[in-house]
Amino acid sequence: MTENDAREETGLEVEVRLFSGLEKFFPAAGLGKACLVQVPEGATGSDLIRQLNIPADQVFTMFVNGRHAAPEQVLQPGDRVALFPPIGGG
Amino acid sequence: MTEEQLVRYRRNILLAGFGEAGQEKLLAARVLIIGAGGLGSPAAYYLAAAGVGGLGLADPDVVEPSNLQRQILHSVKDLGRPKVTSAREKLQALNPDLTIEAVAGGFHAQNAPELVGRYDLMVDCTDNFAARYLLNEACVRGGKPFIYGGVLAYAGQVMTIVPGRGPCLRCVFREPPGEGAPTTSQVGVLGAVPGLIGTIQATEAVKYFLGIGDLLIGRLLTYDALTMSFFEAKVKRDPACPVCGGL
Repeated sequence: MTENDAREETGLEVEVRLFSGLEKFFPAAGLGKACLVQVPEGATGSDLIRQLNIPADQVFTMFVNGRHAAPEQVLQPGDRVALFPPIGGG
Repeated sequence: MTEEQLVRYRRNILLAGFGEAGQEKLLAARVLIIGAGGLGSPAAYYLAAAGVGGLGLADPDVVEPSNLQRQILHSVKDLGRPKVTSAREKLQALNPDLTIEAVAGGFHAQNAPELVGRYDLMVDCTDNFAARYLLNEACVRGGKPFIYGGVLAYAGQVMTIVPGRGPCLRCVFREPPGEGAPTTSQVGVLGAVPGLIGTIQATEAVKYFLGIGDLLIGRLLTYDALTMSFFEAKVKRDPACPVCGGL
C-alpha cells in the first residue's frame, strides 16, 4: 500500500450543498440538496471544489458550518459546506 | 392620518400586527433605494404604494431600451431620461403623499455617509459588488440596516443586514468576485426574477419598520426560477470580518 492509498482510506465525509448553477458541475448534488462527499484527510475547501469539477473562479463564497470560510480551510469530518457563485445583477 | 389616507391604506391597517399605528410608522419611515432598475422598480413601487413616507432613489443611469424588459418603472417615453426622474414621476403619481428625493448622481463614496445618515433603511438594488461593499461599509459604520438583493439569469438572492444583529455582507461575501464573473449583460436575466427579489426586499423593509415576523437576518435566501425553489442557507457573523468584526 502506498502512502497515497493510506490517505485515501483515512478519508472523511462532508455534506455539500451547491447553489445557483454550481450544481451543473456536479450533478449528483442537485440544486441546494445536501450530498455526502468523500474527501481525503487534510483536504481543503479548494481541494473539494476541484474534486467537484467546479472551476475555482465560479465560486464566490463558501460557507463551512454556516460561516464564511477561506479556500485554504482544512475540512473536518461532518462539515457542512455550501458553495455559491456571484449573483450580482440588479 | 387623513380620511383619504385611512381609505388608501385600509388593506394595510386591517392586517394583524399592522393597524393605524403600523401605518403611521411607515408614513414616518425614510427608505433609500440604491438602483432604480430591475430590483429597484418593484421595491420602490411596493414601498411607495405601502405608504413609506420618505423615499430616496439613487441611480446615475439613464433609461435604455434594454432596460424595459425588466425595469417596470420605466417606459418607452422615458428612453434617454435619468432613471431617478422617470421613477420619481411614476411613484409620485401613484402616491402623492410621499416625499421623494432623486439622487441623479448615484450612490458613491463621497455621498454615501451623508445619504445613509439621512435615511432609516437602505434597499440594495445595485448591479455590482463594488457598490454593495460601499453600501455595506456605510451602513455598518452608520448602524443602519439594509436589504441585500442580487439576481442573475434565473437565480436570485436576498438577505437582510442589521449591523450587530447578524452577518454583514462582507461576513458572507468576503472578497470581490473575479474579473470573469458573469453579469446580466452577458448571461441575461429573466425579468420576473428581479421582480420577485425586489418584492421580497420591500416586504422585509415593511416588516423591519413594523417589528413583525422574522427578518432574513443571517438567512441567505436563494431563489431558482427554473425549479421554482427557494433555499435558505443560515450564515453566522464572522468575528474576523474586516467590516463588522469590531462591533
